[in-house]
Amino acid sequence: MGIPIESSPPPGWEREGIDGLLGLFPPGRLSEIVGPRSSGASSLLLALIARITTSGTGGQVAFVDGMDALDPLSAAATGADLSALLWVRCGGRLRVALSAADLLARCPGFALVVLDLDDLGPIPGSACIRLQRAVEGTGATLIVRSERHREGSPASLVLAARRLAPQWMGLRPLTRLAGLRSEISISRSRLHSLSPLGRGSGEGLQGEGLQGEGLQGEGLQGEGPQGEGPQGEGSWTLDWTLSQ
Amino acid sequence: MTRIACLLPTNELQDHAALLQVALAHSPRVEDAGAGCVYLDASGLQSLFGDDARLADRLRDAAFAAGLAIRVGVAASRLGALAAARLGSGVTVVEPGGDAASLAAAPLSLLTLSEPLTTRLSRWGLRTLGELAALPTAGLFERAGAEGVQAQRLARGEDPRPLASWRPVPAFEESVECQWGLETLEPVVERLSELATQLCGRLGARGLAADGFEWVCRLAGGRAHEGALTPAVPLTEAAAVTGLLRLALEARPPRGIVEGLTLRARPTRAGAVQESLTDPSRPSPRFLAATMNRLVALVGSDRIGAPALLDSHRPDAVGLDAYASPSPRRGEGRVRGSRVRGAAPVLALRRLRPPAPAAVTLASGRPVAMRSSRLAGRIVAGVGPWRSSGEWWTTQPWLQDEWDVELADGTLCRLAHDGSAWHIAGIYD
Repeated sequence: MGIPIESSPPPGWEREGIDGLLGLFPPGRLSEIVGPRSSGASSLLLALIARITTSGTGGQVAFVDGMDALDPLSAAATGADLSALLWVRCGGRLRVALSAADLLARCPGFALVVLDLDDLGPIPGSACIRLQRAVEGTGATLIVRSERHREGSPASLVLAARRLAPQWMGLRPLTRLAGLRSEISISRSRLHSLSPLGRGSGEGLQGEGLQGEGLQGEGLQGEGPQGEGPQGEGSWTLDWTLSQ
Repeated sequence: MTRIACLLPTNELQDHAALLQVALAHSPRVEDAGAGCVYLDASGLQSLFGDDARLADRLRDAAFAAGLAIRVGVAASRLGALAAARLGSGVTVVEPGGDAASLAAAPLSLLTLSEPLTTRLSRWGLRTLGELAALPTAGLFERAGAEGVQAQRLARGEDPRPLASWRPVPAFEESVECQWGLETLEPVVERLSELATQLCGRLGARGLAADGFEWVCRLAGGRAHEGALTPAVPLTEAAAVTGLLRLALEARPPRGIVEGLTLRARPTRAGAVQESLTDPSRPSPRFLAATMNRLVALVGSDRIGAPALLDSHRPDAVGLDAYASPSPRRGEGRVRGSRVRGAAPVLALRRLRPPAPAAVTLASGRPVAMRSSRLAGRIVAGVGPWRSSGEWWTTQPWLQDEWDVELADGTLCRLAHDGSAWHIAGIYD
């Protein structure tokens, strides 16, 4: 019996493109995306949501919005299927956001649970551990988006976003904002048992998916691991385009 | 010998459900034809109510007693009965075998025909059912097909289709009286659990599920505590219903001693779906229903759902749709693979809700500095204004000038001026 055509990678699959970055998030684990304002962290989050909701598996995403900051128009511009997105608006209440994330992390069936806190405040250490335990049982990917990384967090993967430069169109005077260039780097990784798509096994993040020379996708210029840095270090330079 | 009675209200503003009940009180076979029209099978009712004229009188009187003014027609076919009721006055009985003759003068508009056939018959100059009935059948079939022949049979008083029987929706309601008043929540939930078990058993026996529940707690002193819940998916499992009821009552407990309980379920037809290994992973309906109700209790029902873009250019015009677990077949037809893959990454805007008021300093009409509770600093670059306005034809027009600016610390944000004040609409991230 032949291999069904659906099993082959779909058109547009770029092992080395942004998928290489988005494919890092391990299921059943707590991950973090940290970064200050205008660092591209939220854009990375929306790209991941779009990837999951529009994939052939029809994944469902729960978005716990601590600050009511989600812009559905931006999400739609990334191509995300909004009907597959459960949006929970917490109105700036940290405890409510943590409780909602805990409930959703324990509900089987969601491919991704996002807890977007931004600058709402640091998560108590006990809450982090509780979230990690909750998501282990369902196999969902749990991502916490906050302004800065909290020491002692049990996160398996921490991606740090850093603003490089805004992209303007036109010379002086400027005519419009075209986008933002930012750098995403791995500031912490405990991924010791990743699948082949998860890049690496016990060797940190030196797998081929993280090699800089592969990051030649559209809108994506890879710079690869930064020299002889610590094991697991890698970075991506991304150009986020402002949708009009 | 088939006899059919048609009940037709004299005006359209009458209680259709009451009319159906009047018909059902006289015959076990009733058809709801819509638009206020009800047919009932009058065959074999002579021994109960007398001949057709007596039955028609009785129907009219029963309707009058129920507050309805109707006209009644009795004939051998539905169309004959309808014509008799519509064209006659009060009560009209067409004798057996007289349908064709009584229909001969009736207009063609009594028939429900497709647009092409209506046009064709009109071009042939046909105006009445009698003219249609008189056409040669073979020629009509050649020109108008099976629909034309079917229409002609109806015009001749032939009605081969049996009545589509209508049944009243059974009331799914259970009640219990508490001999001793219940003062705490736990025994109340236990009683409701028993009622839910009975209701779910009845629903399951009919192949139904419930997509809504209502409860009434009768309190001491004649007061009542009422509530309702709508699960994310239709339910038939008593345990799941009990869990939802417990959560709802914990969120809003009855204020007093409970002396009686009533639980009602809104039945719906639960479609049977064959699951397959290739279906996408989706939240379990039972877990999802419980989780959604906990979330509603946590954040409020107006703050949870699937985001929806409203058909408006007003800034931040978004709403919330009810989030529903996807059906297993929803993914069919979707192109495999992501259209996002390989596409240029999109810069996201983080909205500030509500928009943060800001004090903006202008130089030559351009913002050069801003200060607010969220952000403050010198503006090193900016473009704008992007002017938009809309709904000026309503009582709530809006106007907005937007600027994309970069602060000295590198923050990119969207400033907006609504004609009277500045505010920060969002931060690019």
